[in-house]
Amino acid sequence: MFWENIKEAFSSIFSNKMRSLLTMLGIIIGISAVIIITTIGNSIQRTLTATLNSLGGNTVAAYVQPRYPVTDEEREVWVYPEMEEDDYVTQEMVDGLIEQYSDEIEGIVAQATLGTGQIRDEADAKNFANVVVRGVTPEYLKYLKLEMPFGRSFTLADNLKEKKVCMLADKMVSQYFGDKNPIGETVSVSTSEGSFYDFVVIGVYKYNEAAFGVGDTTIPEKERSTELLIPLQTCFRLQGGHQKGYDMFNLLLTPLADVETATIHISEYFKEVYADNKNFEVETYNMQSGLGMINTVLNVITIAVSGIAAISLIVGGVGVMNIMLVSITERTKEIGVRMAMGAKRSIIRSQFVIEAIVLCLIGGIIGILIGVGIGAILGMAANFIVQNMYSEYANYIIMEIRPSGTAILLSVFFSMLTGVFFGYYPANKAAKMEVIDALRYE
Amino acid sequence: MSEPVIRMEKIVKTYYLGKPNELEILHGIDLSINEGEFVSIVGESGSGKSTLMNIIGVLDRQTQGRYFLEGQDVNSMSDEIRSIVRNRRIGFVFQNFNLLPRANALKNVMIPLMYSQEKKKERKEKAMEMLEMVGMADRATHKPNELSGGQKQRVAIARAMVNEPAIILADEPTGALDSKTGHMVMDLFHKLHEEQGKTIVLITHSQELASETQRIVTISDGEIIREQEGRR
Repeated sequence: MFWENIKEAFSSIFSNKMRSLLTMLGIIIGISAVIIITTIGNSIQRTLTATLNSLGGNTVAAYVQPRYPVTDEEREVWVYPEMEEDDYVTQEMVDGLIEQYSDEIEGIVAQATLGTGQIRDEADAKNFANVVVRGVTPEYLKYLKLEMPFGRSFTLADNLKEKKVCMLADKMVSQYFGDKNPIGETVSVSTSEGSFYDFVVIGVYKYNEAAFGVGDTTIPEKERSTELLIPLQTCFRLQGGHQKGYDMFNLLLTPLADVETATIHISEYFKEVYADNKNFEVETYNMQSGLGMINTVLNVITIAVSGIAAISLIVGGVGVMNIMLVSITERTKEIGVRMAMGAKRSIIRSQFVIEAIVLCLIGGIIGILIGVGIGAILGMAANFIVQNMYSEYANYIIMEIRPSGTAILLSVFFSMLTGVFFGYYPANKAAKMEVIDALRYE
Repeated sequence: MSEPVIRMEKIVKTYYLGKPNELEILHGIDLSINEGEFVSIVGESGSGKSTLMNIIGVLDRQTQGRYFLEGQDVNSMSDEIRSIVRNRRIGFVFQNFNLLPRANALKNVMIPLMYSQEKKKERKEKAMEMLEMVGMADRATHKPNELSGGQKQRVAIARAMVNEPAIILADEPTGALDSKTGHMVMDLFHKLHEEQGKTIVLITHSQELASETQRIVTISDGEIIREQEGRR
């Protein structure tokens, strides 16, 4: 019976296409407005999140800072404490943290610069490359999302055993090595401080301007520096013996980890580890906490627009009610025939309520399609503007245009609700007709 | 003698009850129709025959008197039960066919089955069977506006028959047809009566049509003035 009613509703709606379309107009406009606005809001939110994530959103920054005095008396006598060897965060602490929250934290993102230098080809004096020698952890490479066309990346063992291995930029390789395979070659770097270091090339990474910057464009391409990456511990050793530890670092989270929870876990871990330290503590920070406020503003806008949409739904609903009343008067005879054939009042009522729901739902779906369509067009326009922006920031923006799924579901729900609400009165009027009056109606 | 299909005792129908323009249409009708009878109710327009038919068809309620359909007191039934009675026990054939314009012949015949919540597959089978019986199977997918008057009325008769009702109630079934197709429709009623033993009540103003039935009940001014045997 339910399906018959739905089929019947479609046949009735389509037998009066123009009238049905005009009736739906209010609902179409209301729903499409909501979808457009929520698409914009949702896209801003997603773009910000994606952009911040690419800039370190899925990392938590941690740094050692002095315990500041709380009371006035304390503040008067307070002096900024000097950082002793014991105050640094050691590799053991970090390892302990990663072990404890291995499902949330992937590793430490840290780097140190050994110095700038030049690699010279002994056979050909004209062949040289300027490099910045930088020690990084394996997670740092993941964090930068570097592509690796050749060779391999650093392993934990490379880092722990302080191996003298390196990774070169693809553009430096093609310039310096030409067609020769660089993997396994040894490069000698003479630093500007006069030191010489030898590294074995184990991999080539794709130079990424978003990660390393465009570089100094005033000097010729050939002389521009690229990063020569070595394991962080190797860098520390070359810097002169033992590294004291980290005073500032980032922790790379696993893709599934919740940033806020992970931040709390990290903060709690260091609170415990530093419980006995009178002068210093570890502070944590994540980029996403900055997103909260923007999200709040966007949500307020969405709610305001939804309110306007609600008014348009009410107006649309009244239109639906009006047209249903007309339709029922027109179909009085049909109602009479159906009742004579044995249709109960409840069946007549549900038939017309379903017709109103279907009418509103079609309007809602058209509205959603229009909204999604216009949202997509606006998205393309925004993308175009960003791509043609003469700003280096444009490189960092990751556009994500997507309509809000929640808004679509709610639109479907509310358009159906409009149908029920404004369809019930006319349907009830139809159901209350006396069979003999309806049948004899001309 | 077994209980008649229809037993009416002193049926009175008054319109505008208690108002200044109160109007009594039926003044105490006593009527019994037995199973398998083909009865015609004849009268001039305004005689009250349509009002009587509405009461017989459970479309309207009498003001006074008692009406038993297959032994059940119809007046004491709820709206919902009356719907079921109309659906299962009465087959209507109207002067102006009253087919649903948007539905094809088959769908129109299926309507009573839909309201009796027959299974979908059986609905189709039964409806096709009925269309075959009235010789309209080849027009099953035609909409009413693609059918002639006689064809429409045959579809309407199929619809009236589909739920195997106790009585077929035909209100001027040939009134909108020319005399030739009118006779074809009447032949169909005779066939249903003779071959299937259906109880048929024909309401008409035509003495000629009425004379084809077994019993002729003549109504005038809201009273039965004559009951006589027909030719069959």
